[in-house]
Amino acid sequence: MAFFLILLSNDLAWAAPDAIAGQEKAKVCATCHGEKGVSSITGTPHLAAQPPLSIFYQLLQFRDQRRKGGGMEAIAATLSEQDMRDIAAHYASQPAPAAHTGGDAEKIARGQQIAQQQYCASCHGAQLQGQKHVPRLSGQSSDYFVTQLRNLRSGARADMDGTMASAARSLTDEEIEAMAVYARSLP
Amino acid sequence: MKLQRFTRQLQNITLTMGLTVSGFAMAQAPAAPPASAIPPTWAQGRTPDQVALNLVPHPPGMTALPVSDIPTDKLKVPAGFKVELWASGMPNARSMVQSPSGTLFVGTRFPGNVYAVVEKDGKREVKTIAKGLHRPNGIVFKDGALYVAELSRIIRYDNIEANLDNPPAPVVVFDALPKDEAHGWKFMKLSPDGNYLYFQIGTPANITVQPVTHAVIVRLNLKTNILETVAQGVRNSVGMDFHPVTKELWFTNNGRDWVNDDLPNDTLHRITAKRMNFGYPFCHQGDLLDLEFGKGRSCDEFDKPVFKIGPHVAALGMRFYTGKQFPAEYTHNIFIAEHGSWNRTKKSGFDVVRVTLDAKGNVTKKEVFVSGWIQGDDFWGRPADVHIMKDGSMLVSDDVAGAIFRISHSK
Repeated sequence: MAFFLILLSNDLAWAAPDAIAGQEKAKVCATCHGEKGVSSITGTPHLAAQPPLSIFYQLLQFRDQRRKGGGMEAIAATLSEQDMRDIAAHYASQPAPAAHTGGDAEKIARGQQIAQQQYCASCHGAQLQGQKHVPRLSGQSSDYFVTQLRNLRSGARADMDGTMASAARSLTDEEIEAMAVYARSLP
Repeated sequence: MKLQRFTRQLQNITLTMGLTVSGFAMAQAPAAPPASAIPPTWAQGRTPDQVALNLVPHPPGMTALPVSDIPTDKLKVPAGFKVELWASGMPNARSMVQSPSGTLFVGTRFPGNVYAVVEKDGKREVKTIAKGLHRPNGIVFKDGALYVAELSRIIRYDNIEANLDNPPAPVVVFDALPKDEAHGWKFMKLSPDGNYLYFQIGTPANITVQPVTHAVIVRLNLKTNILETVAQGVRNSVGMDFHPVTKELWFTNNGRDWVNDDLPNDTLHRITAKRMNFGYPFCHQGDLLDLEFGKGRSCDEFDKPVFKIGPHVAALGMRFYTGKQFPAEYTHNIFIAEHGSWNRTKKSGFDVVRVTLDAKGNVTKKEVFVSGWIQGDDFWGRPADVHIMKDGSMLVSDDVAGAIFRISHSK
């Protein structure tokens, strides 16, 4: 009977996202993304302080194989939508990754200039802190940042509605790298 | 005078191009990437004071709300009408079409799914019949086959109703459409004679002088596979229907962003002649010259919409009411799903409106028919399309709740 009730509740309503449950469920993620969402593996994104909807939507994209990479399709396929929401809530509640200090000031300024030309802040927020389903870029791994923008530019990564492909298609490698350096310098 | 001649020449070029498949394939050549200082497509046309605004779009509907989380009781309809939840569990449910035997097919924009809703042993069942398609928003049913318009091609699933649990690989009908993501998803409608697929090719940015292949309504001849331009200067139409008596094509059009909160309007249009041009990007809503591209032009050069629906309401699916269940005064009224604004200071739309016409087809009235998706400044769902059932009731799809509602009337 208890089993039946659990099934019923999963099927008919979402429980509110639960960061505590999410911490437990995120153990599978922590190997690469870090227990607190700060990854020590080059090219793997930090998830700490990401907007929860951003993590949830990316997991959905991986599950449906509309986004690929890092073995995430297989991992996402094992998660229920409730799991995804809980994991997202866990990482969203973690302290933001520390800003990268001591970078090349000229490159940072260049990156900021390109980011302004591309109106990144219109969706990613004034400090590129992310909002709604749009990811946080501040403090993000620059390797990850560069790879994703290049993939969006080439079409290797399909974005949700074409907005990012449109933003990325005119960028040079140098501009992408400058923006990555700028983004990681933000708190 | 010179300008008018130029417009005429442009029209001729488009018509010629539209007449052959090979001509159309020219649009496939990749566009040269713009210089970095050119803003991304969605941002073009913003005034300096709009640039600092926080403009994150609404999150697209990616999942379906569980039944108990769908607040159907919040939806309000006029006295005598009833609204109920008809089907759910369909992430991003948008365009609807029904087969003669009653299967309802539902297209999507974001998840790449197509659904079929069937009634079996008195129970309604949702089946996902296609996955991984690229923006399969347009759907048409003809001779047992389901036609699906993806972003840049039309495909067909033959004998689909006998194979809902194991659909055949689709046949590619036409694949030489532009690949632009911006306004690239299609609304598709079968002509009354069954010979043509009508759909739009939207403009590839918010506001730009588009290639002649874009900002058009086109039709594909199913016998010859020839694509023709039906109308030009249409920014992006995501809803169309044929008038039940005159058989003329009517359609909704989404106006440009960034003029101001109250301009321009989304518009309702009627095709009464060949080669009509509704003015985009030079003139909006029939009487508003574009701040930038309207210089030196006149709205008199262009055909007018029949009605201004409302600013930034995102008028999408529309149908003429052809049923008998609603009171007689609803006969041949138009229902329009207003998906709702994304960047207006105060949200507009998020409802289904009823538009009434006089005998000549002039609009006499617009009123809200279904409302309640918006509560305070927040919304829990967004209406995307409407569909008239054989019993005269009306379905409304909601691409955020991932659900379909039914509106019925009892005397």
